[in-house]
Amino acid sequence: MATAVKSLHVGELVDVDGRRYEVVPDAEGDLTLEPTITPMAELDRRRGAKPASQEDFDRLFGHLPTDGEG
Amino acid sequence: MAGRRDPIDVRVEIDDEVWTEEVGRLRERSPVRAQAEKARREIETHPTTVPWQPCEKDGPQGTQLADCVKLYVPIGQEGASAAPYGFVFALRKVEGVLVLRMLAFGERHPTNPRTHPVYSRAHRRLHGRYP
Repeated sequence: MATAVKSLHVGELVDVDGRRYEVVPDAEGDLTLEPTITPMAELDRRRGAKPASQEDFDRLFGHLPTDGEG
Repeated sequence: MAGRRDPIDVRVEIDDEVWTEEVGRLRERSPVRAQAEKARREIETHPTTVPWQPCEKDGPQGTQLADCVKLYVPIGQEGASAAPYGFVFALRKVEGVLVLRMLAFGERHPTNPRTHPVYSRAHRRLHGRYP
């Protein structure tokens, strides 16, 4: 019996036993499945949160150095 | 150990959904989950004095984390071996008040190629996909 193989691409969503997964790249360029996550834009919308201004960010954290890691 | 700094006037919010997606995915009673839970207690108890650091607007792995800050875990440690995990938070304004909202938790330098660094996880939540 032939087995049907579904092609998946980065960004596609699949349902596995009722749980949603997204096709994502791993660090070596292969693809893997990860549970979906809620986008920050959606979380902010629900909370009524808006991006802070650059001035606000600089006032709170602008005096602190970055360490180049990420 | 991070030096003492002036308090930063900011509140912290950790959405249940984000916590579940970032920390709830980790095995219960695992050391990394315990570290995250301990750090959360410290963050929520001392949000103005924990050692926040700005993230890179354009990070070395293609991450774009403008207006974001991070905390290394265990809090108070800095080197990657002493503090292998991290949180990333985004600065937001909620009802006129500045709030740091949690974006991601994870390893800073994962050795497993299938594991994304915390910075990439934060980028994904902000921008919809990994860098």
